[in-house]
Amino acid sequence: MKRLTLPASREAIRELRAGDMVLLDGEITITAGLPTIQRLVECANGTRELPQALEGAALFHLGSYSQETASGGLEILYMNPTTSTRFNPLMPGLIRHFSLCMVGGKGGLDAACAAAMAEVGCVYLSFLGGGAELHTSAIREVVSVHWSDLVAHYRLVTLRVEGLGPLTVGIDAHGKSLYADLHDAAARRMPEILAGLAAARGD
Amino acid sequence: MPITYAMMKQATADLYSWSLRKVPDDTKAALARARDAESNPVAQRTLDIMLKSAIAAETSDRFVCSDSGVPVYSIGLGTRITMDGDIKQAVVDGFAELVETIRPPLLKHVTNPLTNERGYHGKDMPLITWDVIGGADYVDITCQPKALGSGRWAALEIFSFPSLARIEEYVMECVLKAGSQHCPPVVIGVGIGGTFDHCAKLAKLATMRPMGSRNPEPVVAAMEERLLRATNLTGFGPMGTGGDTTALAVHVEYASGHGFTPVAVAFNCWINRRTRARLYDDGRVERVE
Repeated sequence: MKRLTLPASREAIRELRAGDMVLLDGEITITAGLPTIQRLVECANGTRELPQALEGAALFHLGSYSQETASGGLEILYMNPTTSTRFNPLMPGLIRHFSLCMVGGKGGLDAACAAAMAEVGCVYLSFLGGGAELHTSAIREVVSVHWSDLVAHYRLVTLRVEGLGPLTVGIDAHGKSLYADLHDAAARRMPEILAGLAAARGD
Repeated sequence: MPITYAMMKQATADLYSWSLRKVPDDTKAALARARDAESNPVAQRTLDIMLKSAIAAETSDRFVCSDSGVPVYSIGLGTRITMDGDIKQAVVDGFAELVETIRPPLLKHVTNPLTNERGYHGKDMPLITWDVIGGADYVDITCQPKALGSGRWAALEIFSFPSLARIEEYVMECVLKAGSQHCPPVVIGVGIGGTFDHCAKLAKLATMRPMGSRNPEPVVAAMEERLLRATNLTGFGPMGTGGDTTALAVHVEYASGHGFTPVAVAFNCWINRRTRARLYDDGRVERVE
């Protein structure tokens, strides 16, 4: 198990290999909303003002429930990943524009995203779906919440975390993707799997 | 003594709330067996974290997943019950009250499909399937919240006089398409036959069966075993990052039809949310799961 402190150096990011498991310390930015990712694309295009710096950030597809505390602060009641592939068409531009060092969520991203990640030195981290209690327990501070006009899980939330994970490197900064490799292997194996089904049926 | 509006309202709201906080016992046991059988180190670790997450949520009485999905109920009405009040409206009112009072609060997941706006309320919500149970003196209620993560990978295709080989090939096409996406290891429900709507319902009912239970008909039971083995040969593994365990169970249900044969495939993610209770005509409420 590796442990990385954010912001991480590109050298440290490039040392990670698909299949490694990591724990994270430091600042992460999260959202589960397609409208939010669309707004970030507008920011990248210069048609909307970016509410916070994202250069070299770790931007994860995690939804959270944020609310104000009695003392006027902010708290996160729970957070958990959402399906990253929903954002496939929009992520390569964001990865390149902001030189993101980490992206993540669950389910991976496509080949175009993996290519952008290899260019800038970025990894995709797989979070446990159904891991709300574990992920939430790593939150130490709510740094900021932006775009509060959106429903809670769509907001752009920056958190300071300690020991977040274990997270699995699903796509590394060298273009190797567990998701692509596993899909290709399963597709290649399918004729053999179907032959096995036929044999078991006694066809 | 009748089944009352108040009983239905309370029971359906409780079942939804409970389902968000507890991974069913049969599912935890299946995950533990999978952990013991896994040969892939990342998959072993991922299954360990799944079990840890399930226990953490249950112990702290908090949500396993932040996505509470939408409330989905399968309700069977015994033919020997009597009713007092609008028990259909009771389910709607129970959910409306729950979203105002549940702690921690729910995120807004009820989605208008025409505008993609999200809130706590919407047309036809909660989603309910009503059935009749011959001779029973109870109402049987199962709650299975459903979310995009696994819900979007369900599929149905209509064939004409398909062979078993074609049916099984289609199931495997769905397994390959869903790939790493649906928070595996999943429970796969397969419906075969009937009509378009009936077949989809069979697939859903199949996901509700106790984990790994076998269809009583040997031909179907053998199909379930074959498809489970075949699914786990794909190698997608826990959370889709590789391993021997892509599915925990495959359950198949079928109905006779007319030769235009629908085949429906539904997936439940690893937390396999499912709670169930029976409301008896004598006022008892029995939590089954």
